[in-house]
Amino acid sequence: MTTKRKNLSDVGQARVRAELADAYDFDPRDPLFGLSTTALSGSRLERRTVLRLLAAAGMLTAGHVIGAAHPARAQAKAGGTLTCGWAGVGEITTLDPAQINQVLQFQISSNVLSGLTHISADLIAQGDLAESWKVSDDGTEYTFKLREGVTFHNGDKFTADDVVFTYQRSSDPQKSIHSAVLANVAGVEKVDDYTVHFKLKAPQASFLPKVLERSSGRAMTIVSRGALEKMGESDYGLMPVGTGPFKVTAHQLGQTVTLERNPDYYDKERPKLDKVVIQPIIDAEPLAAAIEAGDIQLIGGNPIAPELIDRFASNPDLVVDETPGPTFQALWINPWHEHMKVTDFNKPLDQLMSEKGFKARLAIAKAIDRDAYIKQAQFGRGTPGFGTVNPAQGHYFDPGLAQTSAQTFDLEKARQLLADAGYPGGEGFPKLRLLTTPANRRETQVVANQLKQNLNIDAEIETKDFPVLIEDFDSMNWDLVRLGSGGDYDPDDALVDWMQTTSKFNGRKRDQAKYSFGFFSDKEVDQLISDQSATADVDKRRELVMKANKITSDKVASAFLFHQPDILVHHKNVSFPKESRIPGLVDLDRVTVS
Amino acid sequence: MTRYLIRRTIGTIIVLWAVATLVFFMLRIVPGDPIGAMLFDAGDAAAVEALRHKLGLDAPVYVQYVKWFWLLFQGDFGNSIYGSNIPVSQAIAEALPRTLSLASLGFIIALLIAVPAGLIAATRRNSMIDNVVSFGAFLGLSMPEFWLGILLIIVFAAGLKWLPAIGYAPLSDGLWPWLSHLILPAIAVGTTFSAIIARNIRSGMLEVLQTDYIRVARAKGLTKSALILRHAFPNALIPVITVVGIAFALLMAGAVVVENVFAIKGLGRLLIQSILNRDYPMVQGAVLVVSAIFVLSNLLVDLLYTVIDPRIRYDS
Repeated sequence: MTTKRKNLSDVGQARVRAELADAYDFDPRDPLFGLSTTALSGSRLERRTVLRLLAAAGMLTAGHVIGAAHPARAQAKAGGTLTCGWAGVGEITTLDPAQINQVLQFQISSNVLSGLTHISADLIAQGDLAESWKVSDDGTEYTFKLREGVTFHNGDKFTADDVVFTYQRSSDPQKSIHSAVLANVAGVEKVDDYTVHFKLKAPQASFLPKVLERSSGRAMTIVSRGALEKMGESDYGLMPVGTGPFKVTAHQLGQTVTLERNPDYYDKERPKLDKVVIQPIIDAEPLAAAIEAGDIQLIGGNPIAPELIDRFASNPDLVVDETPGPTFQALWINPWHEHMKVTDFNKPLDQLMSEKGFKARLAIAKAIDRDAYIKQAQFGRGTPGFGTVNPAQGHYFDPGLAQTSAQTFDLEKARQLLADAGYPGGEGFPKLRLLTTPANRRETQVVANQLKQNLNIDAEIETKDFPVLIEDFDSMNWDLVRLGSGGDYDPDDALVDWMQTTSKFNGRKRDQAKYSFGFFSDKEVDQLISDQSATADVDKRRELVMKANKITSDKVASAFLFHQPDILVHHKNVSFPKESRIPGLVDLDRVTVS
Repeated sequence: MTRYLIRRTIGTIIVLWAVATLVFFMLRIVPGDPIGAMLFDAGDAAAVEALRHKLGLDAPVYVQYVKWFWLLFQGDFGNSIYGSNIPVSQAIAEALPRTLSLASLGFIIALLIAVPAGLIAATRRNSMIDNVVSFGAFLGLSMPEFWLGILLIIVFAAGLKWLPAIGYAPLSDGLWPWLSHLILPAIAVGTTFSAIIARNIRSGMLEVLQTDYIRVARAKGLTKSALILRHAFPNALIPVITVVGIAFALLMAGAVVVENVFAIKGLGRLLIQSILNRDYPMVQGAVLVVSAIFVLSNLLVDLLYTVIDPRIRYDS
């Protein structure tokens, strides 16, 4: 037995060495790092290609390779029931991808429904129902070879027709809330039963990891036509039928969602668990008691209240698994407010610096001590934030921005800026309305305290329920807002959705006659973001992303606060393999209990 | 009696109509757009308008009102406009048994504590035991339900591991699963109400015990238990029944706080959740059911008066 294990680990080590050697085996002058254009297509070579790209960027570590070189892990015991609590939520309103509007919902649907692709723990798109694919040279045509022999939970066969049907349903705004995600798709065609062809209007780098992704993407998460027609939309929303590793066998709205193993899943090795029971638990203390009592063994859902994490970490029965989260959080500053006014962000930075309104904005952004905020408001957990691109996006995240951004914390300069703007010691600066949700009140208070202490600016906190807050945010009816984003797996989520003049969150309900843009508008940033969207080359794209991110930071599109980590808490007897540890998701197909 | 009942039924219908109408229009005055919140993520104006149209929210308010009432008369509460659009009646039908289970058990626990405590306190006025009961009632009244709930979870679920910490199991899963999930939350809601009821029993009893007929009964040489249970207690019950009726209705309307602590999706939580989502039809339906419960339990209390005190007669 001992020898056998030793052999296994020898094999593992050999594999690690081989993979590392292969990854670095390229001519540094070669713009494609020894990869052919076909290497960027298909899914078989995905892993090798990814390692090569990481190596080329100087970012490859042995850790990237070791993760998957653990054949022993797959031997873990199968079977059993896992009971989970979903934090901070009263009910799982819907699991229909066409209606899903919260991360905590697609955390569940990702276990039930498949997509053509699914992101890995490194946020790289990998084949799910798509076995392989080819991309045309101009990057606008994708041909997918589909997995054969896959069946839906109701027994229906999965074919190219289901892909076309899903596309038709999701691109219809009457039927799906995600039709905009498919705006760049010109059409989808069935070539044969197991081949589909996508035509794009323009090349899109995020097409595989965003548009086709099964969890956060939602638009092309494959639904069952037969089940939809038989069950109707509302029943399907509670108990969707898909081709995923688990099937929903019961859903008591607001009480429990029960998943059971799909015995016909295309990967015979998965899932390991027989049954998963998910209970929404809205309050923090009962959630903590439930996991401490062993009523639940794993926590998913909304981020766990930061004050509980240390308590969990000190509990010998529990595992606290922290990884960078796909999020950003910010304090938005209204550029239409008389004392913080900037009506044209297109001017060069030094010219903006001469404007009073911009000085006041920058003063606010520079006066926020992110480290102190993270310590006081988040119990020390998080990464200081200076832009929308988050550290979970690894390759695209710019850790240097913390030093180079104009927003870097500097109390003296912040006070000087405010004085230059005409408010020495904060005198004469009006009281600001700072909007937030009731749940974020405590941490927003930390921000308000810093503004008071550091700049002598009064920010009066107003809490509003989310539906009201969003309406105010969209109509630019605020001075300051505490708001951010989660589930941003691709730079497009961080940039296209937030930082362009036409971004969906950029004051979409504002009075357009009065305000020519929402909270930010910069032509150069608009162009950079459009360009990065269309750039398939990872390194070129990275350059564009970082440049756009830097400008939004310097020009104070908002005062960025921090990136929330993704924290998974579970019992010691639950084994959650690294391979499944995708930030923000709770993929249970490789999870085991003992 | 029949005439009285007919009169009350008509009154009930008018009250429910007034409540429904008020809620309908108040909801639409409250800021917050359900579609905007739901499609926060979608970023497609066409999708917003399409959904608004699909859910009938683009029609003038009076049209929506007439339509809603027309469906209501046919016994149709409409569909939720949030998430899966499940029928409102289905959501209520799922939540009602949970609330009914919790309220009944909590109510029984409240009475089990309150009746003996109130009687003992009244008959041994100013004794040690009276002080203990009064202090306990005071404590029970001032103790927030959620705090007591969490305390119970920490002791009996996390610590002793006797009972599950959270959740609900329907009676169809078996008596023990059902009961074991309900004991802690029922104690949490029951305690608060037992304090109110015990104090009412005590003061009612004290009043009755000083009346002349009790003095006569005592002079006749009746045993103490017969005196208290047969002669004094029923007469002290009238004000108590009023409080108990309101208490039960309040429990049914939703022990929201306790439902949240124990993760039980009852009527109260359904109502709060749908208000937060601005799920108009769901709020309207839930409020209607809750008001019906209030009106009916009031009616029941009024009828109980005639049982307890035969002197009380309606229609005369």
